[in-house]
Amino acid sequence: MRGDPHERAAARLIAARSGLGFGPRPGLPPEPEPTALAAIALDDADARRWLAENQRGDGGFALVAGDVVSDSATALAALALPPGDARERAVDHVLTHRAQPLPANPASPHDPDLRGWGWTPDTFGWVEPTARALLALHVLRPSADTAIRDGLALLADRECSAGGWNYGNRVVLGVDLPPYAQTTAAALIGLQGAEPALYARGLDALVRLWPAERGGLSLAMALAAFRLAGARAEGDARAALAEELDRTALLDDVVALAWAAIATGPGLETLRRAAP
Amino acid sequence: MDRRTFLKRAAQVGAGAAIVGAGGGIGGRLLLQRSRRPWDDSVFPPPGRVRVAVVKAASYQADLEGIVLAGLREVGAEVAGRSVLLKPNLVEYDPGTAINTDPRLVAATVLAMRRLGASSVTVAEGPGHRRDVQYVVAASGLLDALREVEAPFVDLNAAALVRRPLHSRFTDLRELWLPEPVMEADIVVSMPKMKTHHWAGVTLSIKNCFGCVPGRVYGWPKNVLHWAGLTEAVVDVGAAVRPHLQIVDGIVGMEGNGPIQGTAVPAGLLVFGTDPVATDVTAVRLMGLDPSRVPSLVAAARFLGQGDPDRIHQAGEDVERSVVDFAVLPQFAGLRAGAAPGAGGGVDAGPA
Repeated sequence: MRGDPHERAAARLIAARSGLGFGPRPGLPPEPEPTALAAIALDDADARRWLAENQRGDGGFALVAGDVVSDSATALAALALPPGDARERAVDHVLTHRAQPLPANPASPHDPDLRGWGWTPDTFGWVEPTARALLALHVLRPSADTAIRDGLALLADRECSAGGWNYGNRVVLGVDLPPYAQTTAAALIGLQGAEPALYARGLDALVRLWPAERGGLSLAMALAAFRLAGARAEGDARAALAEELDRTALLDDVVALAWAAIATGPGLETLRRAAP
Repeated sequence: MDRRTFLKRAAQVGAGAAIVGAGGGIGGRLLLQRSRRPWDDSVFPPPGRVRVAVVKAASYQADLEGIVLAGLREVGAEVAGRSVLLKPNLVEYDPGTAINTDPRLVAATVLAMRRLGASSVTVAEGPGHRRDVQYVVAASGLLDALREVEAPFVDLNAAALVRRPLHSRFTDLRELWLPEPVMEADIVVSMPKMKTHHWAGVTLSIKNCFGCVPGRVYGWPKNVLHWAGLTEAVVDVGAAVRPHLQIVDGIVGMEGNGPIQGTAVPAGLLVFGTDPVATDVTAVRLMGLDPSRVPSLVAAARFLGQGDPDRIHQAGEDVERSVVDFAVLPQFAGLRAGAAPGAGGGVDAGPA
């Protein structure tokens, strides 16, 4: 199937719908992350309704598995919700559910005074969930200075030696870890120009990385980061994503399809940080 | 080495680890709790004698389908009429490295399982480091290899989940939510790479079960498990998945700073088994390491399978003569067969 990559990604995404929301794969029950991303990608009222109906009492959105509450999608759900109480409670949840501190450890050096955000609130702060929280705060609550400073500092602390980001650590047992395209793109989407030198090094790293990491999620998030930055690599990344959609349909990974639809369509503007 | 010697050595590692301070992380916590029996005896009956096969395979160009078929027959694998799920290790992809179970071995195993009469064969993995599963499976060559043998791939990070109460309690986790395709398969085959691991010492068929734990619940790289205590989580997850068969890819293994940044070791070996503890004990011995010094394996040998080398019938190649010494990081020098007690039992695991 040829044509506009946004239309193709959106069509595939719509076909994956599960009731009002979206699961991680077609046919699976709705979950917060794919539903929030699809709501942004498609400007979808039903997906927003599912989010509104599944917001937890504490304002968060979570995949709950027994004692484990995976709430990192709350930041994305906040971005997907329309202005109002539900969105404000989601942002409040982001602010009050930061990661756990971890003592300094020479095996994997990090600044123990920084918190950031984890995939679950009872674990350590990690790059992608911190970037999501930072994105939500930049867009929806730019007055949250302390939390934003913490998120920025964590991303600076975890930056790989040659720019860009691994999933969490920069060094393990004395060895520099390499940056990845997908995590670097996530961090850049969260930063959007904040910490200009850090941001510029990250963009340089992503320009280097993306041509060799042609998975759907990596390409889609890289394209989103390039478009938000106005980077020249946008055109090539868009063509590569279109090719991947043709070739594999991103293996029907709903999160990847939603990011592809966001990156190629108007939904990206929902994630754009206002000029400071 | 009998069970008493195995456990005595293990206790020495625990005591030594406590003495060496920073080197005591992985052994100390687990082994100091030896008086506890944190598992349900009714679920884990005492293991009997088991059979493990060590088979030579010089390279991935060899007749792997025939070799795998012979190895599976050697350990009495019964898969006829049953659904089989192969769980290789694809934690990450980095060109030119030996991180992953080789796709050629996975494809050959698909064909061998079909020849043994399996009703279906699925390949599944939930990569621990990369969220972009498509990148890992495509770049590693697995997707093309599976296309050639017309086998489906399932992303375990995105699969339907079922609740599984834990019958072992080395961690405080009371249950795990695990992928339905793993829990519903008649036969789960753990197919690890033969590797050293910078936090756990080694990663083999039991640790490979971490890839069954969905990242969308437990984070990348399965942070909740690390936070719960890596060594303890290895045991609990291994006991929850409890793979029926194991095929360890030691054709080319990884030594040193594994599981990602180590060095390739052309060991030319495959290990087949029906008991994950016995298989891993054998693989550790083949790596020139002492299984009684690997804390997760010591704990697993208390309930999950046969850890006594004297009760493991070794088929195929002779283990002692097939040893290929895998280099370990200095902090794991204590894992080396013959090392003095207390000589480096690991480090306190970082958050990854």
